[in-house]
Amino acid sequence: MNDKAQRILIVDDNVALARVIQFAMDGAGFETVTAQNGRIAFELAKKSLFDVVITDQQMPEMTGVDLCRNLRGMPEYEDCPIILLTAKGLELELPRLQHELEIDATFSKPFSPSTLVKTVNELLAAAVS
Amino acid sequence: MFGSHPKLGFPRKVVACYLLFCMATVCWLALGVCLISHKVLSLHSASSCLSRLGKTAAAIEISYLRHGQEKLQHLTKQAQVEGGLAYASIIGPNGIYLAHTNASLRDMPALRPTGSLLRWGSVTGIRFVDQQNRTLREYQVPLTVDSQSIGSLQIAVVEPSVSATLASVAQYAPITVLIPLALVALGALVLGRLTGAVAEVDDQLRQVALLPPGREVSLQRLTARNGSSLGWNRIVESLNELRNHSGDQSLNKRLTEAIAVRRQNEQLDILQNLSDGVAVTDMEGRITFANRAIKALLGAEATDDVLEGTVISDRLIHNMPELAQCPLFDPECTNRSVVFEGHRHGVKADRVLRVSRQPLVGGQLKGQVWSLRDVTQQKLADKMRDQFIDTATHELRTPLSNIKAYAEMLATCDKIELEQQKEFCNIIDSEVTRLARFVDDLLSISSMEVGSLSADRQKVEIARLFEEVLDKIQPTMQKKDIQFEVRLPEKMGVLELDKEKIVAVLVNLLGNAAKYTPSGGHVSLKVKLEEDLLQIAVEDTGVGISPEDLPMVFEKFFRSKDARVQAEAGTGLGLSLAREVVRMHGGDISVESQLDKGSTFLVSIPLE
Repeated sequence: MNDKAQRILIVDDNVALARVIQFAMDGAGFETVTAQNGRIAFELAKKSLFDVVITDQQMPEMTGVDLCRNLRGMPEYEDCPIILLTAKGLELELPRLQHELEIDATFSKPFSPSTLVKTVNELLAAAVS
Repeated sequence: MFGSHPKLGFPRKVVACYLLFCMATVCWLALGVCLISHKVLSLHSASSCLSRLGKTAAAIEISYLRHGQEKLQHLTKQAQVEGGLAYASIIGPNGIYLAHTNASLRDMPALRPTGSLLRWGSVTGIRFVDQQNRTLREYQVPLTVDSQSIGSLQIAVVEPSVSATLASVAQYAPITVLIPLALVALGALVLGRLTGAVAEVDDQLRQVALLPPGREVSLQRLTARNGSSLGWNRIVESLNELRNHSGDQSLNKRLTEAIAVRRQNEQLDILQNLSDGVAVTDMEGRITFANRAIKALLGAEATDDVLEGTVISDRLIHNMPELAQCPLFDPECTNRSVVFEGHRHGVKADRVLRVSRQPLVGGQLKGQVWSLRDVTQQKLADKMRDQFIDTATHELRTPLSNIKAYAEMLATCDKIELEQQKEFCNIIDSEVTRLARFVDDLLSISSMEVGSLSADRQKVEIARLFEEVLDKIQPTMQKKDIQFEVRLPEKMGVLELDKEKIVAVLVNLLGNAAKYTPSGGHVSLKVKLEEDLLQIAVEDTGVGISPEDLPMVFEKFFRSKDARVQAEAGTGLGLSLAREVVRMHGGDISVESQLDKGSTFLVSIPLE
């Protein structure tokens, strides 16, 4: 098992929320990087590899879904766990998206950060095995 | 003569006749007066002559008795003078003039004139013409003294001629003739007056008589002077009424016919003027009727592009290709109504058209009725509303997420430093405030929709109002490092406004200015307080508003598509709320803007 901390990319234009997620993840022993929109996130993802990507949906310049699509286009991120946070009524289309883009989990806002931490751990555990 | 005079009316003839006969009467009377005067004068002269004769005879007889023939001449002269005689003479028994007023004839043989004889008792008289062409009357009476004839006495007078009579009467002429004439004239006037109304009626009647047959009789009212003119007017009125009424009756018939035709045309007009396109097709799908609107919607406005006779499905699919697959044209569905919406790509803009087809049932017409409606606006409104719901959901859930996340952290985490704890609590607090503000906006918008938004105008110290505004907006300005200039009037005093709402409007405007102005920009608040007007200008050097968006900024839910605007959070409600509040105060809000340069929002509120 890898001792190096797992790297999580947190993407949300809501700075306060990104910070609190970061706080929660840091507390759980992860290394975190935040990005304010999809484009910046994509650049960061290209530069260095992340183990998990947590992204909001409604963002300027590139939405979460588009970011997903772009990441899935890259071989490194084909299997990367991606979690989508959404405030919109995308709940109706989630099954389709999940199937199409292989989004591993979705959280509708407001959500509990500890649940998010738990989900991240579960996904990483599943990825290893 | 008068009876057939063409110009004179009956009453005037009456007056003319009256005048004529009166004049005739007056003349006759005048003549009569002359004749009678003449007669009277003659008689008078005759009788005075006779009495003179008698007196003179008696005087002569007495004088003869006393003095013989001495005074006879003197007496004749005296008689002549007293009686105004032509001459007087005494003829003796021998036929010699014993005395004569013409002294030369004395002692001459008497010449007996010849003429017509007159006789009164013992008095004889002769009427003759003398050498001077005067008509004389000589009266003779025998003289007797002591039963002895001493001769005869003759006196002669000039017979009064007609001209003499006239001359003597002439002095009375003015009175005797002119007064009757004046009375007659007066009578004519009065008569004229009395017959005046009748004269007007008579005129009208004769005019009517002159009209050619078949021409409509028209009578005029008269000035109401007396009973007959009033009566006449009544007749004219009832005649006119009758005429209108009978005119009405034939008019009614024509009207009823015209109405039927008009109704038909009206219904056609209604169809033609509908904003919805309407078409009727026969059993084969060929257009038998197409109104103006459907021609426009299908792009067939050119006069030579006739829709009637063409197959409707061709036209529709040509305009909206996506209709090709829909059941509108499915022959299986002809007895069902079908509605379909499709896009029509236009030169200026894409339009969404709703096509509905319904079978014609019940009447004599067989086929289908098609209705085409442009629902682009509706769709736009729906889209805006959906957009709003999206935004609203986002605006509600974002602060909620933050509150939940931070609260949970605070509750579950043991390792948070006190400073961080405080920070987390502050974040929760400000998110709650944000949420509350948004909920207020939503409530205001729904009140606005319902129409229950009202301005609670109270006396407000303007200085304090602006203080509150500045308090609320300063943090935002500072955060973005924006130059904030405030210009307030010196004397601010007290005005009647709904402070809460006005403050909210100004905070919104200034908030927008700050939101859409990049860091380092400039925002100004300038307030002008005139006698009857409060003017507030919020100016910024921000992203500005494009000319296409400018007319829409005050619409509910409107948010510009400009990326810089979309990047900021917003509901599209602030400006429409601001407009509503300002209008409730009787004022207005307007905007001037240049893309990339900045915008100026101007609020004007009239003061009572």
